[in-house]
Amino acid sequence: MSLGAVTRLELRRLAVRPLAWAIAALTIAWLAWSFVLGLGQFLGAQVKLAGMADAPGFTDLVAIPLLAELAKLAFLVVPLMTMSLLAGERRTGTLALLASTGLAPWRIVIGKYLAVLLWLALWLLATLAMPLMVGAESTADWGKLAAATLGTALLLATLAAIGVACSAATSFPAISAAMALIVTLVLWTIDRGAQAAGVSGGFLEWLTMATHLQNLLRGLVVSSDLIWFALAIALSLILATRRLGGDRERQ
Amino acid sequence: MTDLPLLNVTGLFRRRAGRAAVTDVSFSLNRGEVLGLLGVNGAGKSTTLSMLSGALRPESGGITLDGRDFVAHPGIARSLVGWLPEAAPLWPELSVDEHLLAFARLRGSSRWAARRAADAIIGRLQLGDLRRRLAGVLSQGQRQRLGLACALVHEPALVILDEPANALDPVQIGELRKLIRERAASGAAVILSTHVLGEVVAVCDRVAILHEGRLRHDAPLHDEAGGKTLEATFFGIATGAGA
Repeated sequence: MSLGAVTRLELRRLAVRPLAWAIAALTIAWLAWSFVLGLGQFLGAQVKLAGMADAPGFTDLVAIPLLAELAKLAFLVVPLMTMSLLAGERRTGTLALLASTGLAPWRIVIGKYLAVLLWLALWLLATLAMPLMVGAESTADWGKLAAATLGTALLLATLAAIGVACSAATSFPAISAAMALIVTLVLWTIDRGAQAAGVSGGFLEWLTMATHLQNLLRGLVVSSDLIWFALAIALSLILATRRLGGDRERQ
Repeated sequence: MTDLPLLNVTGLFRRRAGRAAVTDVSFSLNRGEVLGLLGVNGAGKSTTLSMLSGALRPESGGITLDGRDFVAHPGIARSLVGWLPEAAPLWPELSVDEHLLAFARLRGSSRWAARRAADAIIGRLQLGDLRRRLAGVLSQGQRQRLGLACALVHEPALVILDEPANALDPVQIGELRKLIRERAASGAAVILSTHVLGEVVAVCDRVAILHEGRLRHDAPLHDEAGGKTLEATFFGIATGAGA
């Protein structure tokens, strides 16, 4: 199946380039350090927490902050991982070569998206392994952790789709990365002006990515949040496909 | 085999960078035929070949490939067309072997068929010593041979070669000519774009000359009295002295 062939090709390219390995090594080292610090603080506060009714536990104080830290890193990591997917290929001429194999643009876009998604899933799993190993020996709130993991996974999938769309829009990987970062930051903070004016609950709040992620990180799985992520992913991938299809007209 | 031409091109028109790059180009090509496409730089050769490979859509005009509308259904290029672009674009981080397997899989071959096809073309183009080498460290001539192998790995019915002899040494050029004739003998149609008139004389059955985006000459090579006449025809068109 040609979709699988595109994904395999992209995974192979990710595996042999140093960028993916360097990013994975540096970020996981940073996350491990954050985890150790968080765990140390949690253990140090045990006496104080024991005296509190409804005290936050391991999940609230260690596991979810770790996922939030990964989400912050993802703002930079995902644009770096997606910047060359289409922009780099367009620049070197291999995108036209891919198009000449008769592959529909959507197959190229989805194939490449799936490859990045797989890398991001491994990145998330490697991070999640830390609280899971400790959580198995303590009293973790598994439901809350599952919701937070779902939220982080959806955030990564959305950022990857935005990155693919930005990569489809240009021939310059660096511009693609900058565009993806700006679009993400705009989506993250779009309701800040409304908040400053004391307005809440409107369309801008719904449009803001942070609103939907924060619900999931608190353990709330609401269908409107899931729909928001699904729409953002679908819209980004449709835009990328349309732009790629336009290459045959535009070059 | 059928009497219908494999490729039928009618009235192709395409602008690039705001100016007409190809205007009203029409020709047809039969199975087993080798067409030499000549023209000075900027004549519209690469634009024409990009349209024939499916990478670029004509603004007007039609391309029929194996009896099917290629403009409306570029997906048919998957099994029917093999294209070597001028600069032989490759992924520098992948090996020769990985390129060939990837192209065979992208063209729809199963894993085992792709392995067999890659091995066959590696043997045919004598790439065995290079199969584990990364494309990024290949010499220009080796890159060109790998690009050629990628274009031929799925045994396409229409082979489009844009300056395939670039950076090849005389021995490799001889091998390339043999390979083109072999493909034609096996029923493939070949379009060979080149600046080198000797290339056309050595391997082509027909020659087409593009100038300023228009097809100015399309005739069997045997109509010419040897390479010298082809040279006279080409220079006549290129310098505007005749058509």
